[in-house]
Amino acid sequence: MMAKLLKLRVLTPAGEVFVGRARSMVAPAWDGRVGILPGHAPFLTLLGEGPLALKTDSGDAREFGVSGGVMKVEANDVTVLADRVAG
Amino acid sequence: MASSQDVLRRIKSVRNTRKITRTMELIATSKLKRAIDRMAAARPYADALTGLVGGLYSPFLAQEYPLLRRPAETKRAAVLLLTANRGFCGAFNSNLIREARSRLEALEAGGVEVELHVSGKKGLAYFRFRGAKIASFTTEIGDSPEPDDAEQLVAPLWRRFATGELDAVHVVSSEFRSAISTPPRTRQLLPIEPPAVGTPVDAFITSPATGEIVGRLLPRYLRSAVYRALVENAAGEQGARRAAMKSATDNAGDILETLTRNYNRARQAQITQEIAEIVGGAAALE
Repeated sequence: MMAKLLKLRVLTPAGEVFVGRARSMVAPAWDGRVGILPGHAPFLTLLGEGPLALKTDSGDAREFGVSGGVMKVEANDVTVLADRVAG
Repeated sequence: MASSQDVLRRIKSVRNTRKITRTMELIATSKLKRAIDRMAAARPYADALTGLVGGLYSPFLAQEYPLLRRPAETKRAAVLLLTANRGFCGAFNSNLIREARSRLEALEAGGVEVELHVSGKKGLAYFRFRGAKIASFTTEIGDSPEPDDAEQLVAPLWRRFATGELDAVHVVSSEFRSAISTPPRTRQLLPIEPPAVGTPVDAFITSPATGEIVGRLLPRYLRSAVYRALVENAAGEQGARRAAMKSATDNAGDILETLTRNYNRARQAQITQEIAEIVGGAAALE
């Protein structure tokens, strides 16, 4: 059975950092780390500073350092609008 | 008539000029391409953020967040003019300056106290020469503006808007319709016109509360708008420069053609005359 995936976009003002599918992700929200799996309820949160880790659809682990911004989760569509992304 | 030596010298000079303008055209073409890429790269973030702000906005929030305040009357306004640091780009800078001037005059005619903020050497030089009062300026923003540049430009303005020192902020920059069409335009940055697009987020779990998120997003929204204006302006500058340098190169080519024709004609006339003299001399000997 094909598992559901997250459609993830990590964007900064200067451009796209990551666009692709992910099995799961952990984001640094303003008040602590938040794990997102497919099927998450609609969710909107401010971002703090820290690593954004994700597992791509092929099972590879990716990690970015993000700081500041906002994350929106809606119907397996995840949009991360970060001020800064490293890595 | 100029001697053939003089014509030769001019040909050489025009040829050198053409070499320079052609090189500038090529450089502008490659910079234009990069600038357009940057514009495209900035769009997803700007669109997503606009959608969010539009979805989160409600008139109720306007009373709570000073950045959303809508002054009943405009007493003090700021105009932020974005120009290039360099010339050789046709009417690009003068169009922007003209737009800024007419905006300043229109505001002043309406009894508004206006202050002028300038980015770019060209705008700065013009308004300094005219002796206009410049509230702040920067010439640090180059061909590839960064989001941080936008923040530094606009952050002091939104802070002063929030405290009530300013009632409106306008940005004069060029709109990049295409590489050959970059008309100047004024956009109202503050008070914020809530974006018409955006999906309502009523069904969302928000953390922290919606209002708090809006408060944090608004400065980013303003920065994004100014960043967009900066990259559009950078692209417009390169587009205008490419067009100006192309026509300069073409003109140099036309001049070269005329000069070469003159030179050849003069040389041919000289040869003809020499032959006539030789023939005349030979005939005199017989």
